[in-house]
Amino acid sequence: MADRTLTYAEAIQEALDQEMARDPAVYVLGEDVAIWGNLFGCTKGLVAKYGKERVRDTPISEAALMGCTVGSAAAGLRPVAEIMYIDFISIALDQIINHAARWHQLSGGRVKVPMVVRTQGGVGFRNSSQHSQSLENWFVNIPGLVVVMPSMPYDVKGLLKAAVRDDNPVIFIEHKAMYRNKGVVPVDDYVIPLGKADVKRAGTDLTIVATSWMVVHALAAAEELAKQGISAEVVDPRTLYPLDEATICDSVRKTGHCLVVVEAPAAGGFSGEIASVVMEHCFTALKKPVKRLCGLRTGIPYDKDLERAVVPSVADVAREARALLGR
Amino acid sequence: MELKKTDLMKMYRTMLGLRAVDNRLVPLKLKDLVMDGFHPYVGEEAVAAGVCGWLRPDDYVISTHRPQGHAQAKGATMEAIFCEMLGRMGGPSNGLGGPMQWVDVDTNFFCGSIVGSGVSNSTGFALAAQRERKGRVVVCFFGDGASNTGSFHEGLNLAAIWKLPVLYVCENNQYGEAMPVKEFVSGAKISGRASSYGIKGKTVDGMDVKKVAIAAGEAIKVLRKGKGPAFIEAVTYRYRGHYLGDPENYRTKAEIERWRKKDPIDRLRKELLSTGKVKEADLKCLEAEVEKLAEEAQERALSRPKPTLAYATSNVLVPVAGRNA
Repeated sequence: MADRTLTYAEAIQEALDQEMARDPAVYVLGEDVAIWGNLFGCTKGLVAKYGKERVRDTPISEAALMGCTVGSAAAGLRPVAEIMYIDFISIALDQIINHAARWHQLSGGRVKVPMVVRTQGGVGFRNSSQHSQSLENWFVNIPGLVVVMPSMPYDVKGLLKAAVRDDNPVIFIEHKAMYRNKGVVPVDDYVIPLGKADVKRAGTDLTIVATSWMVVHALAAAEELAKQGISAEVVDPRTLYPLDEATICDSVRKTGHCLVVVEAPAAGGFSGEIASVVMEHCFTALKKPVKRLCGLRTGIPYDKDLERAVVPSVADVAREARALLGR
Repeated sequence: MELKKTDLMKMYRTMLGLRAVDNRLVPLKLKDLVMDGFHPYVGEEAVAAGVCGWLRPDDYVISTHRPQGHAQAKGATMEAIFCEMLGRMGGPSNGLGGPMQWVDVDTNFFCGSIVGSGVSNSTGFALAAQRERKGRVVVCFFGDGASNTGSFHEGLNLAAIWKLPVLYVCENNQYGEAMPVKEFVSGAKISGRASSYGIKGKTVDGMDVKKVAIAAGEAIKVLRKGKGPAFIEAVTYRYRGHYLGDPENYRTKAEIERWRKKDPIDRLRKELLSTGKVKEADLKCLEAEVEKLAEEAQERALSRPKPTLAYATSNVLVPVAGRNA
């Protein structure tokens, strides 16, 4: 069983199943999480196993479903809410930002709000501009939230289990283009600590820091670069906040070059945060300025080719890496 | 439902306490010891007193930017309220919240300054209470202004379809900040909005603590049996501005005087005396006692320290498990 493979979506389902079996306070709510078992099967079969009280289809009513999530977490339950597309979270932001993120501090540390908001962002299904955005930056800037963006089936299971067990509000952002990606996922009850980055591929010439689907791109680009004699190290922060600065800086100190790849537009975003962390902590190790490769500052278009053209591709990553090294 | 003499005396005392604290917050505000976030509750005391008298300590109250009356009626001490208003240690949020937003673990009380949000997040507290099956209920206070927010409508619908034990109490105090209710609420009564979600809605005279108490008492009794949410619109009035310093150019002095004639405290006092079972001297004694308690609570609060910067920046996150692993 050690080399069993699951899809990213199946790994999410298994994490939820294991956590619901472990702790009766854990429950799932969201649009179409019960009858449909989520658009991608992430909650498939849970209602049959745990019943309607613990797997709740909500109305298309994000303010209420998030209000219910926040209130029930403060009252001792451990909700895992689903916002079907991250774009819809705009309707629920008040509950997350003004309430969930504030109550622990306002209670002098006595109230905990142990909730997970599972959602998914990014391009990949030609859903156009209100179903394809990358909005993680909004949450990284809010004190009181943990933000997670898993890239691999192995990570998504272990990180989701950690998120469910964490006593903070956790924004857990999946990527729609990765649900069918397969990877080795142990059946065991393992947890990946939040706030720990992972070196997805070791290398010596440059560090590519990438998030979510861009990790997949970065790994493919690294493969291509290797054929040209360039050794790229790929670092996946996995948790955007709290950020594992040490792993990123250790890598940059080794390679002397840093390319940041994210799907969201550059301005005011997490890519700039990574660049700043590298400048502040290992500036003298840099042989060239940090380079960012980000999504274009535009709405996501409907057309198949245009949708892909506005976010970094594998070829873009490889090209920017070569440019950074002057090769 | 019949109200006993002890019920009436308890509510009278509660209302005196709310007013005694509010009246002391006014000069504190004028000295800038309490800031603009203070929204006076004077005039609306019958609503908090009539509703919260029925609550158990383990019930939840979700309140608004005008929370001090609800908080005290739910069991917060006068000193705790003064401390929070003054921004001192010893308040429910140790002065970090101030007049509009705090979390009081000891009394299961949450309030905040985003109008309408509580209508949605009260459903979560109620869901936890429903699962627990111990008859716990949630009271969610909000104003007339909240009844136009998306959160209000989404929250009512969710509470109704899941039969959640929430008593929604709309304090219709006639104005959303400066705007008169009749100019921004479509439809005759706000309680009618609840009816459209299949929630039993009632409009009561919010200046009459007995009427509020009977409506709330009956609703809460049903709620504890798990029959789903209820809704009370209490028609009331705030004697002071939306905040202190409000130019109040939207109403006349004559209007305020008309409402003051319906004062809930005076009204109950007269009724208590008219029964012949309560003596004037006893009421005077009680009134003096409550004033003394409020004065002492204020003095103690004024002697408490402000939170330090270190405290004000702590408890942002629960330590994240893997962070230092």
